[in-house]
Amino acid sequence: MLDKLKADFDRIIELVNKAPAPLQETAFKMILEQWFNANTVPKPEPPPKGAAAPADGGASAAPGVVPDGVKPFLTANAITTEILEKVFSPTGPGAQLLASTIPGKGKANKLVNLSLLLCVKQALESGNFTCTLKELRELAVHYDCYDSANFSANLKANKIYYKPREKGADLELIGPGLKKAGEIIKSIAAGE
Amino acid sequence: MDVAQVLEDVLEELVSIQKAVNKLTTASVSGQALRKRIKDTHKSWLPIAGALEAGNSVDPTQLQEVSDFWTELVKLANSVKPKKQYKALLKNIITKAESELLHKFIKNSAIQTIGDTLRKRVQPVTDPQLLKYLDESIRCAETNCVRAAVVLAWCAVAYVVQKKLTSLGIATLNAEFAMMKANKGLMFKAFNRDYVFSADPDVQEAADAHLILLCRFLTYLDDTQYKHLKAALDLRNGCGHPTGYQPDPVKLQAYYADITQLVLLNPKFI
Repeated sequence: MLDKLKADFDRIIELVNKAPAPLQETAFKMILEQWFNANTVPKPEPPPKGAAAPADGGASAAPGVVPDGVKPFLTANAITTEILEKVFSPTGPGAQLLASTIPGKGKANKLVNLSLLLCVKQALESGNFTCTLKELRELAVHYDCYDSANFSANLKANKIYYKPREKGADLELIGPGLKKAGEIIKSIAAGE
Repeated sequence: MDVAQVLEDVLEELVSIQKAVNKLTTASVSGQALRKRIKDTHKSWLPIAGALEAGNSVDPTQLQEVSDFWTELVKLANSVKPKKQYKALLKNIITKAESELLHKFIKNSAIQTIGDTLRKRVQPVTDPQLLKYLDESIRCAETNCVRAAVVLAWCAVAYVVQKKLTSLGIATLNAEFAMMKANKGLMFKAFNRDYVFSADPDVQEAADAHLILLCRFLTYLDDTQYKHLKAALDLRNGCGHPTGYQPDPVKLQAYYADITQLVLLNPKFI
């Protein structure tokens, strides 16, 4: 590869020189990056279906298999697979919320509970307890708990559940949010 | 610009203005500050109206109606006018903007990303013909024809179910239907139909509801799986006729999750 780089280097310099002086450094970096992308050995393909799941929080866990990143949450909240299956299906990547209604009194409460459930749903997908506002709005409209004028205010009023964030940024659960999410899952599974 | 976020902010401010107007003890809105707030909020509305007009996510007539209400409201704010007029206009703008614009916009934004989600879900389907067929269903969804997407996807499910059952052989299939009819179990006692097939294509004439019940009888599905597949069939039936029912993209995603898990990618059917 080094030989090829040596061979191509003059041509790269020639191209860089064509760019205006202040942009030459950037141009050099960009071309070099492209060159490496085109000439380095591609990364190995992901393991075939059925192979052991990587220890990356379970992002690529098989369908129906709870990702490793979610297991401490389940243990800490005493949520068994049986309980989880009553709320999400499958209980791994591709998880869907089964609940036909979201528990809670009023739209505000339902919205917050929905956001917590969506974070768990995402964790079953990728191992991270996050939720985009786009998805939250879509699901809130579906579950009839979307109150546009109070959407931000409701999330703000329950900020103890989420990691501090910029306006419009994704939600990410922290301790109290995880605990509350666990309680909601158990209450849905119990048919409350 | 995050249209949903900005429109939410505008609505939040409008609701706050509405509360301030309601609180007034005077018959007219005379305060400069409140009138200025209305004009400032209108300035925030204009780029949203532009973005909504440029896209095709909302009904242009509804957008025009809300814009007209805004024009009237700003006109009112130019001078001292009765509170009653403000209240009516504010109510109209808030209600219409939320239900006709924001909700539609959110649903449409879900439509725009639904294709990727559904394709990812059916990606492991190995039969290229089936995959191509499912792609047609997904393209229906992408053009906001959700009911068509539901019906087409069910046809793919029915195809897989029929293929699996005919693979048993016609004689076995007839015998299994007869046994299911004779079964007095809770789930099967209501089934009283006589099916006698003479060739594979005859199976297509059988009701899908009976075919999936047979799948339960043959334990390709357990009780819970059967219940969910039956619910998927009910959704398909609800979408197969021009009724008032219009499933949203969230419902379609859940439907796809069920049919892929229960049939299309279920090893018992492959």
